[in-house]
Amino acid sequence: MTATSMLSIIFTALCAASLLLGVNEMTLAGLARFDHHSWLTLTASRFPRLIALVLSGAGLAISGVIMQQVVRNRFVEPATSGGLEAAKLGILMGLLLLPDQGPMIQMLLAMLFCFAACLIYVQLITRMAPRNVVVVPVVGLMYGSVLGAIAEFWAYSHNILQSMQGWMLGDFSKIVQGNYEIVLLILPAVVMSYVFAHRFTLMGMGEDIAKSLGLGWHGTVALSLLIVSATVSVTVIAVGTISFVGLVVPNLVAMWKGDNLARTLPMVALGGAVLMLACDLVGRFVIWPYEVPIGLTVGSIGGIIFLGLIVRRMA
Amino acid sequence: MTRQGYLIAMPALLILLAAYFVLAGSGFDTDFIIPRRIAKLCAMIVAAISLALSSIVFQTITGNRILTPAIMGYEAVYLFWQSLLVLLAGTASLTLLGNNGNFATSVAIMLAYSAFLQRWLFRSGNNTIWLLLLVGFVLTMVINTFSQFVQLRTSPGEFAIFQSFAQLSFDNLDRQKLGWAAGLLVLVIGIGWRSLALLDVLSLGRDQSISLGLDHKRQVRFLMALIAVLVAISTSLVGPSAFVGIFVANTAYALNPARKHKVTLPLGAGIAFGLFLIAQLMVEHVFDYKTTVGILINLTCGIWFLGLMLKQRNVT
Repeated sequence: MTATSMLSIIFTALCAASLLLGVNEMTLAGLARFDHHSWLTLTASRFPRLIALVLSGAGLAISGVIMQQVVRNRFVEPATSGGLEAAKLGILMGLLLLPDQGPMIQMLLAMLFCFAACLIYVQLITRMAPRNVVVVPVVGLMYGSVLGAIAEFWAYSHNILQSMQGWMLGDFSKIVQGNYEIVLLILPAVVMSYVFAHRFTLMGMGEDIAKSLGLGWHGTVALSLLIVSATVSVTVIAVGTISFVGLVVPNLVAMWKGDNLARTLPMVALGGAVLMLACDLVGRFVIWPYEVPIGLTVGSIGGIIFLGLIVRRMA
Repeated sequence: MTRQGYLIAMPALLILLAAYFVLAGSGFDTDFIIPRRIAKLCAMIVAAISLALSSIVFQTITGNRILTPAIMGYEAVYLFWQSLLVLLAGTASLTLLGNNGNFATSVAIMLAYSAFLQRWLFRSGNNTIWLLLLVGFVLTMVINTFSQFVQLRTSPGEFAIFQSFAQLSFDNLDRQKLGWAAGLLVLVIGIGWRSLALLDVLSLGRDQSISLGLDHKRQVRFLMALIAVLVAISTSLVGPSAFVGIFVANTAYALNPARKHKVTLPLGAGIAFGLFLIAQLMVEHVFDYKTTVGILINLTCGIWFLGLMLKQRNVT
């Protein structure tokens, strides 16, 4: 059996589990009887949640792999390059300055901030040209913490620090019909990344080689950062911050299948969705009937996998 | 002003600032206001000294100007322990171990982490230090999500407790803890005193110092243990300091290019103390408590740090 088909089977099984398991009673028998309660649970809560999980997982994993091609470093993702904090800052700005506008304005602001922050980060890394691979994410994390400090400064003076921390933690339990639709905006980003996958692979070879192979360097960088910032801002708005998906999944896939994005991108997307689904299920069962937010489960499971990757690389 | 001029003017300026901090608007109330402010001042001094010493010595050992022990996971470990306490015991965590118990366990945990770090740090080449830094950061990220969860779950009262140790601040002081911290600091300085001259040799790098007859491995091991205690002192006294150490150390190098540790170390302590004092005064008088010392210092030192990274392309 090929790796892809195995991953697809796991993915399907997890999707089914995610649909069928939950606190609110919903059985196949109930669905067969056209029981109103069962159908309502399925269409109003389980399906939206599944779609949100799959899309944000795939989107985040793809953003990670694209960032890694832009900066040419395996340890980079939106969370380690200031993108996440910038999106947070954008949302905060939307909330405090334009409180009457809907989530669309917040999302646009988040996207704008995230895009600008990623652009600055890429510039920073290009100028520094660090010799050591680990310096790149370290600078990104420091950069992120400066942006985070600005957000904290602002949030504290408006006394919303605790609530900001609260809605920033990735959580799918509030996803229901009517407020998840924004997640669908990830879909075009995912499709675009697939269409341009070849270019991103070329981009990963570095500016000189890519240019000599006929790639419009600046345009491609801008496009990739646009995809990344769209995905990140949508996920932050809809579910909150989720780290490590973009780090862990692409690294595991690359260890297995190499770096040709045109071939590996579907696996990266699928892997991201599988990781999210699995972490979500874990979060749903740990303190049944309550839920542990997915930000926490992904944060700890992903963090441990990532630490394992680092140690492996070092050994 | 010449560089020597700085060295004379700085203590004078610090004393003036300190006097202003203690006396301004106090109405010379010697019962409450002045003793309280003096305690705060002492905390700043103890924290500033331990912060400067730990950062500069750490940078000398590792031969790197943009690292501090604070960002290598020490603080993450401390915060993890504290948030675990709040999560498990809620507001009772304040009394569960008592202040002394909490201080002692924090110091012990950081020493254990340091021992773990050392085994790893000097096992193989230079690359390891950056990997360790990354490990420290990943730990910080994991712990941050964990503490976000704690913050989500806790009541505002418990959140206030959490915030009080998760941020650099001089407000929640316990005299007894301050006493312990100061005593420990004096002890560390006493033990480390005879290594002062060796630090200049160490700064030449591993190979050079070995060829000059230094037992490099043993010396580094000894200094790293001292650093762990110093980090524990400053973190448990005033909270996490993140980039402050980098700022302090690099400013000290800039004012004293010869980089003799005899000068750099006290200079760094003075700079850290000045930074704390100015930030505290700004919060009290300019921002009117609309912000905190921790946020202010993080912001300025963080921005300054990014500038440093940009200016000095070869630091890495």
